[in-house]
Amino acid sequence: MADYDIPTLKEEIDRETVEQVLALDVDKYKYGFETDIESDVAAVGLSEDTIRFISAKKEEPEWMLEWRLEAFRRWLTMDEPNWAKVHYPKIDFQNISYYAAPKSFKGPKSLDEVDPELLRTYEKLGIPLKEQAILAGVEGAAESVGTPFGANVAVDAVFDSVSVVTTFRAELAKQGIIFCSISEAIREYPELVQKYLGSVVPVSDNYYATLNCAVFTDGSFVYIPKGVRCPMELSTYFRINEKKTGQFERTLIIADDDSYVSYLEGCTAPMRDEHQLHAAVVELVALDNAEIKYSTVQNWYPGDKNGKGGIYNFVTKRGDCRGVNSHISWTQVETGSAITWKYPSCILRGDGSRGEFYSIAISNGYQQVDSGTKMIHLGKNTSSRIISKGIAAGFSDNTYRGQVSAHAKAKNARNFTQCDSLLIGDKCGAHTVPYIESRNGTAVFEHEATTSKISDDQMFYCQQRGLSDEEAVALIVNGFVRDVLQHLPMEFMVETQKLISISLEGSVG
Amino acid sequence: MTTPVLEIRNLHARIEDREILKGVNLIIPPGEVHAIMGRNGSGKSTLSYVLAGKEDYEITEGEVLLNGENILELGPDERAAAGLFLAFQYPIEIPGVATMTFLKAALNAQRKARGEEELKTPDFMRLVKEAGSQLNIDSDMLKRPLNVGFSGGEKKRAEIMQMALLKPSLAVLDETDSGLDIDALQVVSKGVNALRDGQRSMLVITHYQRLLNHIVPDVVHVFSDGRIVESGDKDLALKLEAEGYANYGGEAA
Amino acid sequence: MRANFPVRLGPAEDTLIAQLKAAGADQAAERITVAGLPTRRVESYHYTDLKTLLRTIPPLATAANEASAPALRIPGAYNLMIANGAIQNASTAPAGIIVGRTQGGVLTTRDDVLVHVNNALSGEALTLTLESSVDPVIQIERRIEGEAAHVADALKVFLADGATATIIETFSGSDAAHVGNHATYIALGKDAVLTHITLDLSARATSHFATNEYHLADGAKLRTLIIHLGSGLARTNVFPRMDGAGAHADVTGLNLVSDGQHADITMETLHAVPHTSSQPLFKSISRGRSKAVVQGKLVVARDAQKTDAKFMHQGLMLSDEAEILSKPELEIYADDVVCGHGSTCGKLDEDSLFYLLSRGIPKAEAETMLVRGFIAELLDPVEDAELNEALQGVVDGWLLGGM
Repeated sequence: MADYDIPTLKEEIDRETVEQVLALDVDKYKYGFETDIESDVAAVGLSEDTIRFISAKKEEPEWMLEWRLEAFRRWLTMDEPNWAKVHYPKIDFQNISYYAAPKSFKGPKSLDEVDPELLRTYEKLGIPLKEQAILAGVEGAAESVGTPFGANVAVDAVFDSVSVVTTFRAELAKQGIIFCSISEAIREYPELVQKYLGSVVPVSDNYYATLNCAVFTDGSFVYIPKGVRCPMELSTYFRINEKKTGQFERTLIIADDDSYVSYLEGCTAPMRDEHQLHAAVVELVALDNAEIKYSTVQNWYPGDKNGKGGIYNFVTKRGDCRGVNSHISWTQVETGSAITWKYPSCILRGDGSRGEFYSIAISNGYQQVDSGTKMIHLGKNTSSRIISKGIAAGFSDNTYRGQVSAHAKAKNARNFTQCDSLLIGDKCGAHTVPYIESRNGTAVFEHEATTSKISDDQMFYCQQRGLSDEEAVALIVNGFVRDVLQHLPMEFMVETQKLISISLEGSVG
Repeated sequence: MTTPVLEIRNLHARIEDREILKGVNLIIPPGEVHAIMGRNGSGKSTLSYVLAGKEDYEITEGEVLLNGENILELGPDERAAAGLFLAFQYPIEIPGVATMTFLKAALNAQRKARGEEELKTPDFMRLVKEAGSQLNIDSDMLKRPLNVGFSGGEKKRAEIMQMALLKPSLAVLDETDSGLDIDALQVVSKGVNALRDGQRSMLVITHYQRLLNHIVPDVVHVFSDGRIVESGDKDLALKLEAEGYANYGGEAA
Repeated sequence: MRANFPVRLGPAEDTLIAQLKAAGADQAAERITVAGLPTRRVESYHYTDLKTLLRTIPPLATAANEASAPALRIPGAYNLMIANGAIQNASTAPAGIIVGRTQGGVLTTRDDVLVHVNNALSGEALTLTLESSVDPVIQIERRIEGEAAHVADALKVFLADGATATIIETFSGSDAAHVGNHATYIALGKDAVLTHITLDLSARATSHFATNEYHLADGAKLRTLIIHLGSGLARTNVFPRMDGAGAHADVTGLNLVSDGQHADITMETLHAVPHTSSQPLFKSISRGRSKAVVQGKLVVARDAQKTDAKFMHQGLMLSDEAEILSKPELEIYADDVVCGHGSTCGKLDEDSLFYLLSRGIPKAEAETMLVRGFIAELLDPVEDAELNEALQGVVDGWLLGGM
């Protein structure tokens, strides 16, 4: 008999994989540092007074305060959703601080006025805030350091509860584009905000969205005027720094007739033993023939290898294709957070409108992901496309949950869905729960899902060609997610590939 | 003068906003085989679909007469009963419907439409067997679902067998040679030639001259940008093979 | 389900609770008192909201000692009948088939209202033990006679190791607003091979509920075919459990719904051990203003490696008002598996239709031909010729009854 045969080798590889998973070290999270900065933090607890405090801090008009209070009263009557396949101890909403801002923060200002400590934080995160340097063409200013933000990107930097700086505003204003923090928009563009805020995600939409309405602190506001193609990527970078705080950001993007915008979102947080809550609401409105491309790289702290700490990421993102032939495309790369609960959706209201959802969701350690999309076809000749790639490793659970629905009047609605799951190791779970609802006979829906593991043959082949296990898995996983990767803006694509390798570090043998 | 089997007068057709046929004129007298050659995308296949009555196309102008009668108002099944047969470039796979069941339904439907009696099963079986044997189609293939899992050659042979069975007055062969190796091409061509009887007319649509070595046409037409731009005898095909379509304008293939 | 929230109970629930209490099933009664009938918020009833669809429950059936002829006769089959829940005397069973009776409650308890109610209310269950020496075709007719009645009945079947059988259950009855709740529990021994067909031929006014539970030992092979076409409201639960290595199940079903009908097949297959496979295939055809539902969950237990399971649901909509709702689901805890699902819905394929038309086949005939072709994949594997022909006849009757 031969000394060893291939099956034995494969088993060996499997065994090692499992061991590696068990020894998983998600503590390699590289954005886990904390910025030592003095902060102005609201006392923990949630009441109408908390909301009055936030509203006052933001110097908001009366109507905004009323809107918040109304949401809060509504929220008190609601129950936490329990249908998602995620498990966590009950959140004590009275033990969270709902507002934290750097003491040095005195409202929006120009870059040279920003606290140097904050600038250093963003430099460390690789977020280019050196607008003048970039505009002046200074060499080296455009280098990003290991995060997915390239140079030609306008950034709104949100630190805990406040937007600390928004770059390239003047440049954008030349074309009539408004890009600022939502707090500022409430003060400066009340008509736009009042018209669109809560028009896509209603105040009482769901538990977390309603909470967000009551206590949201900052976020970004974008308005692209008629016929304007936004000349650069717009982005928001969210950073949670303070302990015991929740981050409740609110983003509102309006693309007027015949306009186009591509928007990127990134986020990180320090490593902490406690769980922190992030409950954001993002609303997109695309009017006639407008296009919005929204890309997210979500890299909140996922918790340590034993599942301690990490962000609870309970997010409501929804786009309204309100105009004819409008187009909204969501692309997400979800690698962080202890729990992710998020379903970026499209309401296909305008005739001929189009919705897309491209997702890569990676879970490792004890992470739990329950994510997907909803494509609600209301208008005639609407179409949607969903490509979801879930990768589960370690002890994690990774669920795709999605809804495709054609209403009675959505004649000739079309959907194509492809959901693929990859399992790495035998202690994790991958689940797929699509709701496919054709409520008129002219709809054509096609859904397909697969679940598999990386084949031993593929692994062996790569290894035989000299790749290490980790390299082989990274290579194969990158191939697995390729259909989604190619929908990311250039800036995100390369970084995402690196992020995938990092997220799966230790998951393979 | 004898009535032509097919007469196309100034035919214009569009799909959505795009005009594809831009004034086609063509006359095929009884018994003749005409070939239409043209580069990909010139509108050749559209012509075959428009003749057979596919709904996706809108006829904006012109007439199509089959044996002297305008067929443009007829549905695809009525055109078939009137004697038009289209051999598809890509025959459609229909799971769950046995080839034999389909053949019987088609033959009897056409007979019924023409006021003829339905065939009795033994007579039908005999006809199918006859038609099949020339094209190497055995009874096993006839039991399988229509075109499902058929090889490229099997599909094309099955098309020609249907033609033999349905005995049309006009057969339109759309790229019948595509996907065939030389042996299969010979079997198919033999089947087609066996159906040339001095009365039945054929319109052979092809990209390559190769097929026309086997099915020798009486007339060759060059199709470019939605219309016939030149006609000649079979030597025109040889010229095309040698010189390509470059002389006929339009966009490069 | 939120137990702390008081549920408003309707007349259907009141009747059901009273019937359960009278039967001594206090626990089941209590559950309905607390939670009510399932609404769309209960995941497994998401598209079949019983609270809305089931407004009344008729009184419990009184035993019928005589029953009309079966709605469908399969030539050559051994016949048994349960009428209004009462097992009718049968002719002598062929050798190798042992017919018996047991007390009701054949289903394994699980969180499902139909299961609770059946276990509580079915009195006597029919039992069949099939020895390995025979390969019978057995027809079990379950009828509901007379005035509108609520009936719960049950069947328990054991296939000995190596046994082979074909069982067809037909459901029918008088034209009244019956509520039928039927249970079937089948255990397949090692290498046993079973084809099990359930065919709902109930009157339109009837609500038909059924739960089919299967346990497959090593090497057992199961083929199921559920056909819904009679009742106005139909729901069949299918719960196959793959308990032995090498077990394989072809779980199939067909919803045929016309104007005003609602039919739901909900499957949950558990792959409990390594090396099992299943191939669920469901089809729905909806015409008029009607609703067809298929939910299909594949669960692969931790360590059930080498599971090979692929679920498919294909919907065909023959009218603009047709609705087809589909919820396939994968819940997978083992990594070395090949699992997947697909769900499609649409109209008849236009290219196929054009192909048939171009051969001279008139539109109506071409459409029927395509629909038959669509269904063939489910009927063709039924090997018994008489049974196959009978099923073809039933399906054709539906097809020609108003395309």
